[in-house]
Amino acid sequence: MTAPLFDVQNVTLRFGGVVSLNNVSLHQNPGEILAVIGPNGAGKTSLFNSLTGVYQPQEGSITFNGAKGALSVIGKKPHRVNAAGVARTFQASRMFSAMTAFENVKIGAESHKGIGVLGAMVRGPSTRRHDRETDERTWSLLRFVGLEQQANVLSASLNYGARRRLEIARGLATNPSVLLLDEPAAGTNPAEKIELTTLIRRVRDEMGVSILLIEHDMKLVMSLAERLYVLNFGSVIAEGTPDEIRANPAVVEAYLGSTDTGTTQGAQ
Amino acid sequence: MKFLQSPTAKRWGSLIALYAVVTVMTGPPGNQSSPTLGFTSSFTETVSFFGLFPAPRGVFFAGLFALVIGFMWLVRWSRGTKIGQLRTAVTVATLDFYREAAERRFARTGFYLVALVIAIALPHVVTDPFWQQAMVSQIAIYVLLAIGLNVVVGFAGLLDLGFVAFYAIGAYTTAWITGALPAAAPFHHHLNPFWAIPIAIVFVMIAGVLLGLPTLRLRGDYLAIVTLGFGEIVTIFLNNLYTITGGSTGSNQIPHFSIHLGALKYAWGLDPVPYYYLTLGFVVVFLFAFSALEHSRVGRSWVAIREDEIAAESVGINPLKYKVIAFAIGAASAGFAGVITGGQSLFINPTTFTLSFSINILVLVIFGGMGSIIGVVIGSLIIQSLSMYLIHAQPVGFQNSDLYIYLGALLIAMMIFRPAGIWPSKRRRREVANVENGLAPDLGNSSQLRNGEQP
Repeated sequence: MTAPLFDVQNVTLRFGGVVSLNNVSLHQNPGEILAVIGPNGAGKTSLFNSLTGVYQPQEGSITFNGAKGALSVIGKKPHRVNAAGVARTFQASRMFSAMTAFENVKIGAESHKGIGVLGAMVRGPSTRRHDRETDERTWSLLRFVGLEQQANVLSASLNYGARRRLEIARGLATNPSVLLLDEPAAGTNPAEKIELTTLIRRVRDEMGVSILLIEHDMKLVMSLAERLYVLNFGSVIAEGTPDEIRANPAVVEAYLGSTDTGTTQGAQ
Repeated sequence: MKFLQSPTAKRWGSLIALYAVVTVMTGPPGNQSSPTLGFTSSFTETVSFFGLFPAPRGVFFAGLFALVIGFMWLVRWSRGTKIGQLRTAVTVATLDFYREAAERRFARTGFYLVALVIAIALPHVVTDPFWQQAMVSQIAIYVLLAIGLNVVVGFAGLLDLGFVAFYAIGAYTTAWITGALPAAAPFHHHLNPFWAIPIAIVFVMIAGVLLGLPTLRLRGDYLAIVTLGFGEIVTIFLNNLYTITGGSTGSNQIPHFSIHLGALKYAWGLDPVPYYYLTLGFVVVFLFAFSALEHSRVGRSWVAIREDEIAAESVGINPLKYKVIAFAIGAASAGFAGVITGGQSLFINPTTFTLSFSINILVLVIFGGMGSIIGVVIGSLIIQSLSMYLIHAQPVGFQNSDLYIYLGALLIAMMIFRPAGIWPSKRRRREVANVENGLAPDLGNSSQLRNGEQP
């Protein structure tokens, strides 16, 4: 068996007295579409932020085995984790809103190409060549997500579904081994949801990029994910295929049996 | 009493207050025997504008204010009328004309060429020695400094209040390697200031990186305070390290620039015109370099960091690295300006390198339009020319100490009518518009996630 892409061992993350992740262990196999679900406040986004270097868990280990070699994530800065092959989107999409869609993707495509301040100032031949290459790559990614018509539109004026797709393109531009999607379907309409599902599957099938997904929309998760982890109160309470998860009494308890927050799932 | 709290009353009140402050502060000072003299004589003293319109100062400024307010009223009153529609149509047509011209490469190149020709011809048109000197030491060098600070403040969005430190380091490095300081020069042969350029740039860049690495992790106001402190530290060192820097007397033996390259021999002297061309040449080079930088990967990364640091990191941009680069590049151009100042003015001392100098440069950047190279150049030209005009022509009983009152009034007016600057950059305009339309979060929100947001 090959080494897992993400190997999370006994990770605990605290904010002061609040335990956000409690002894979480999970793994993702290469090429897998994996989902993490759970009620609000279960620690899903904390897990994402720990996997991408935004948060630094106090205990445990996170190992990432991308195409560019192994990396111990804890203690690394987000840009370093991204360089190793982890791209992500955000729950409330975070675009560079004063830039066009094209520029947003281009930023991702060129961020790991070295700096070359002097080359940039004199615009030497190698800078121009790099520029042409990133332009081509940017166009192909915009075509991939179906935004080539809106390339010169300001990202702030794109609609919600388009912004989601743009964020995916921006993440893919950094040439990742895995793409972390934080509630990609939040705020999208049913038609956009179907488009999004297709797009995510194409990212895996055509680009060979594994997917790690947080989602509230059960229909989308169950149709997309090959394996799921269920988080509740910062702990993993279940793991399995969509069918196994549906039949798991602990999951039903977490979603339906809890007192106040249980029924709000899916409301976003 | 309700009237006093209405917006109209507040607006009128603040206008009257501004009028009184400008009148009193620009008027003659009082004295001990009659304490109110400073106040009353400010209003009664007769002033004139180039011998025209002699009137008491109080009446003169009242007339000036009435003129401005009257114009604003006229504009507001004309809204909706035929005249107003005509005005709007003309404005829109002009804006469209400029916008289209700016989009066309050909027109843009033409505009720059015309500007360059004017800049080259200027010393032959303006022959007044005061203005020839001012064009170098008060305008061209300030343009150089402003486009450098624009990289830090405008492109990277870092508030630097200690910019003068790099300028000082550049000037003192020139003095040092030309053997004009009490400290022994590093070379036996006393070099001419051209050699100071690479050395000073290396020095200021090192200073920029040393200051930047530990402090650029700070955000916004904290960074401003640290850089302010750095500027003060450098000035105090220059004052107190007597055996090295010459203390408060500084240095007065810096040689002029000169070239000895085979048959090519030229020596700059007391005439400011050759120095004007030297500085202009460097300004043009920096303009090209910085505008290429703005539209490069580096420039885009700065915008990304400015807009959303968390998102920028998530696509692989190292914010610290790019901020340090901005700091070093800004510092380099300030060091450069310092070298030219050293060679041109021949003497330097710490009184030049004060906090107010840093703020002056910052005002040029803000007035012109942060992040807009062309705007910053225009802003510097306007403000520095205006200051020099006030100092030279002394209209309306102007005294040198009044300078900042006039500039302050100008800045307030600018902030009311054009908050993004005289010639804002396209990106800044978009950012302002996005925030106003609620499409983007206001500044400062990007730190939210990092500061322990509960999931």
